[in-house]
Amino acid sequence: MRTALLASLRHHTRRYVASGLAVVIGVAFIVVTGILTGATREGLTADVGAPVAGVDTVATVDDPQAAQRLLDEAAARDVPALGLGYAMEPVARDGVQLAASADIGEASLTPSLQWQELEEGRFPATAGEALADVNAAKRTDVGVGDVLRVGTGAAAREVEVVGMVDSPAALGASLYVPWQVLSGFDGTLWIDAVAWGGSADLAREIAPAAELEPATDWVAERQAEIARGVDVIAIMALIFVVIALVVAVLVIANTFAILFAQRQRDFALLRCVGVTRRQLRRSVRVEALLLGIVASLTGVAGGIALGFGAVALVRHWFADMGTASLPPVWLAAGFTVGVLVTVAAAWMPTRSVTRVAPLAALRPDTGVDVRSAAGRGRLTLAALALVGGVTLLVLAVLGHQVPLMLAGGTAAFIGVLLFGPVLVPALIRLVGRLPGAGPVRRLATGNAVRNPRRTATTAASLLIGVTLTTAVLTGLASSRTALDVEMDASYPLDATVTAATDPLETGLADRATALDGVDDAVTLEGTFARAADVRLPLVGVGTRPAVVRGPDDLVPRDGQLLLPIALVEELPKHLADQVYDDATLTLRVAGRPITLDTVVDDGWGRSGLVSAATLARIDPDPQPVALWVRAADGADPEDLQGDLAALAGASGAALEGGYGNRSWVDLQVDVLTGAVVSLLGIAIAISLVGIGNTLGLSVLERGRENALLRALGLTRRQLRRAMAVEGLLLAGVASLLGAALGLAFARVGVEVMVQPAVEHVVFAVPVVQVAAVVGVAALAGLAACVLPARRAARVAPAAGLALE
Amino acid sequence: MTTTSTTPPQTSVAASARGLTRTYGAADRAVHALRGVDLDLPAGRFTAIMGPSGSGKSTLMHCLAGLDPATSGAVTVAGRELAGLDDTALTLFRREHIGFVFQAFNLLPMLTAGQNILLPLELAGREVDRALYDQVVSVLGLTTRLGHLPSELSGGQQQRVAIARALVTRPAIVFADEPTGNLDSEASAEVLGHLRRSVRELGMTVVMVTHELDAAAYADDVVVIHDGAITAHLVEPSADVLVAALRGRNR
Ligand SMILES: Nc1ncnc2c1ncn2[C@@H]1O[C@H](COP(=O)(O)OP(=O)(O)O)[C@@H](O)[C@H]1O
Ligand SMILES: [Mg+2]
Repeated sequence: MRTALLASLRHHTRRYVASGLAVVIGVAFIVVTGILTGATREGLTADVGAPVAGVDTVATVDDPQAAQRLLDEAAARDVPALGLGYAMEPVARDGVQLAASADIGEASLTPSLQWQELEEGRFPATAGEALADVNAAKRTDVGVGDVLRVGTGAAAREVEVVGMVDSPAALGASLYVPWQVLSGFDGTLWIDAVAWGGSADLAREIAPAAELEPATDWVAERQAEIARGVDVIAIMALIFVVIALVVAVLVIANTFAILFAQRQRDFALLRCVGVTRRQLRRSVRVEALLLGIVASLTGVAGGIALGFGAVALVRHWFADMGTASLPPVWLAAGFTVGVLVTVAAAWMPTRSVTRVAPLAALRPDTGVDVRSAAGRGRLTLAALALVGGVTLLVLAVLGHQVPLMLAGGTAAFIGVLLFGPVLVPALIRLVGRLPGAGPVRRLATGNAVRNPRRTATTAASLLIGVTLTTAVLTGLASSRTALDVEMDASYPLDATVTAATDPLETGLADRATALDGVDDAVTLEGTFARAADVRLPLVGVGTRPAVVRGPDDLVPRDGQLLLPIALVEELPKHLADQVYDDATLTLRVAGRPITLDTVVDDGWGRSGLVSAATLARIDPDPQPVALWVRAADGADPEDLQGDLAALAGASGAALEGGYGNRSWVDLQVDVLTGAVVSLLGIAIAISLVGIGNTLGLSVLERGRENALLRALGLTRRQLRRAMAVEGLLLAGVASLLGAALGLAFARVGVEVMVQPAVEHVVFAVPVVQVAAVVGVAALAGLAACVLPARRAARVAPAAGLALE
Repeated sequence: MTTTSTTPPQTSVAASARGLTRTYGAADRAVHALRGVDLDLPAGRFTAIMGPSGSGKSTLMHCLAGLDPATSGAVTVAGRELAGLDDTALTLFRREHIGFVFQAFNLLPMLTAGQNILLPLELAGREVDRALYDQVVSVLGLTTRLGHLPSELSGGQQQRVAIARALVTRPAIVFADEPTGNLDSEASAEVLGHLRRSVRELGMTVVMVTHELDAAAYADDVVVIHDGAITAHLVEPSADVLVAALRGRNR
């Protein structure tokens, strides 16, 4: 038996290549995930301990006030201590804003706590000096010697950059300033731990609630926390690994089914010469096992190479990526899963092998004509799964139940897959019968539907990838539309420049409109009012400016003042109370007092809004006070910010707006979309290997038939085209069906998951993206036929007819 | 070569070979399947090519039919020199002018008998000549079988479908390679009878490769081949003459 086994393996090696490839891709996917996870975790946890390396104790506090007391006392008593946290403040240079909100950490003046890695310059020696992070400074071109203005209004401070540092991801900030400066930003400062160089008693005395622990424990906790975060990402990636493996199982099972069908006569012959059923079954299972081992080893090796390459590539852009290492658990898991998947996928087909009757070898060989059809049991099961799945989906929509939706979706999808042998050939026939069919298309259609089961399995593998991709794309597009509506309401203006003390220059709107990232801009007239000693710009709005987004017009009623919460917070207590209690505010304009009904709202920068009529009443001679900007679609938020900052110039005007947040949210959705699509792309790639494989094996099977057709007058081109059309029909029908299912699932998903979370849900179909998925899948199916088609066309008509 | 005493009764030639050789494999292990064949196949006759197994019968037929390129020499079919035609031109030529019947794997399993018969016309995008189709189908006794799949037909019926398919394009010449090789003697007789009828009643030209004396008895002429060379071209030979010619080599 061993001779026969080895001979058959040698003989069929090339036929196993494709199913091997499916395993290789799946295993490599696992290994790459492991290597990337390891490197990410190593990179993120590497320097977590650096800030506390100079002390033995870390004091953790719940109350930021307590942290501040600890640091203030430490500074006063000359105890070494470092705040672990940051403030978020705007940073400007020469009157031009560099960042609307930069993270600012503490730079210690104590040498033992100067933990950052110095790249250039020196550490600060006095309160007026600062460190800048090299990566954060790249964009803004900040260097040693620059004087930066940090913070807003009266709290703003100037510091000189004396050193450039490279800081780790976990605790890094863009700018580091000494405590004396940092403590001034108490509005945005958040510190929840202090590296404590003093005695434990002293710490307890200052902040009784502080929790003291050895620095090493604190570091270990932080590292564990980061590792958990990375693991969550790894688990997400594993979901896609599982999807890819399911597809691989289909491809492998199909390959084995086809190969065994083609070898029926060999098996029958073996049975004739005395091989028992069990021996035969064992032998084909050993074949599967060997294939699994070889493919998994290849996958592990390929995964290692890819993983190391990917890590090197990521390190290129993302300095905090760690170094790649071999993760033994992942390697072992990848190998084991690969072998198990192969053997499991081959199990069902190997059972059919043993049903071969020895007599089959004695029947005259009339050419291989493997017919396979759907059994009645299968169809019953399909109907049950479909009906049950749809019922669950309906219930899920009614009750907004995600688990019900997942169960229903899976059941319905399995139902469709089980219906495949009936459904897919019927659809292929339908498409094949579209007007304009010639002999080539008729031949291709006939070939494509000849083995309904085989066709269905091949289509199923592609169906999975396309359905999921379409569903995810549509779901994300619908979420994005819903988010856009919310963003429009929360951020009616993309960017605003609001005068602080002096009016804006004239012609600013034209200059702003001329900017690349600006779609439209308007200047609004206004005046400056005083509330106690707070100087308050008032903007007059007559009709809804074209740049405003969302449902709100930003047009106050006459006699009404719209005031942002941040401005109310700046007011002296009695005036703020007036706003909150009476909903009025008394201001002075040009020395005259005036009281306005006040509504607290937000979204247009640091100014009060009044109606145009009110403005005319309180100041007959208004001046330009605010510039409101609508960003162009896809404008880079940082460029826009920089350009507007340059326009606003040294006037001290304040820059605000929602565009940064809006594009950040957009970017998140884009990144998510890209990640999901490329991860699902792996499953689609495997299924395309499967299509090529099915066609390739069919070519071997149809060798005689193709030779006959060639002898009867089918040209080489026609034969190649027939193969291409067959692949196109298969992939096209599978991806169209997948897109339809994906849209249906997305519809349900939006109803179940987005509906309860967001008010205005629109079911948005990303037509271009879905069309691209269908087109790419169908074309890739076509590409998958190139090799089989060439092989088929190479058969000389006479050679194919020679008797074996 | 044992030349014939009489010239063939018809002068028109359906296919001819001049100095035809076919060599397989590289120089050191070359197999000379045909060594300089000169042959004229007369139109409107049923010619059998006979010889022992491995003598080059199939190779000769494949070369004559443009299925296999000649190593050297010239092949002319229906007045057309085949050398120099590229694959596509050859294919188009085949589907216009040549019909085939093979020993096995003659029919596409997913097509019915009727569809199989019409396949060459469909591939060529040609109109069906209904009168010829009906005539061919009735001459071959297939009228009631047209809707059946090959798997539902007996071996003899399958070969008759293949013959009908070869005839329905009205080719200049039909090549049949051991068309009865897989059949029992009764079915063989039936198929051979139908082949002869197609020559007699439809005026076709049929060339049949066979190694069976019984089969050759249905043919008008017999070409004898030994070891890649033609040793006799007999016109309506008697059984004795034929046996003698076949033994010719190993006297
Ligand atoms: N494709 C081929 N490659 C190599 N040798 C071949 C090939 N086809 C035929 N032959 C050889 O050519 C000789 C003639 O073969 P063939 O024409 O098939 O003989 P016949 O049909 O008379 O039995 C044989 O020796 C055979 O082995
Ligand atoms: Mg032969």
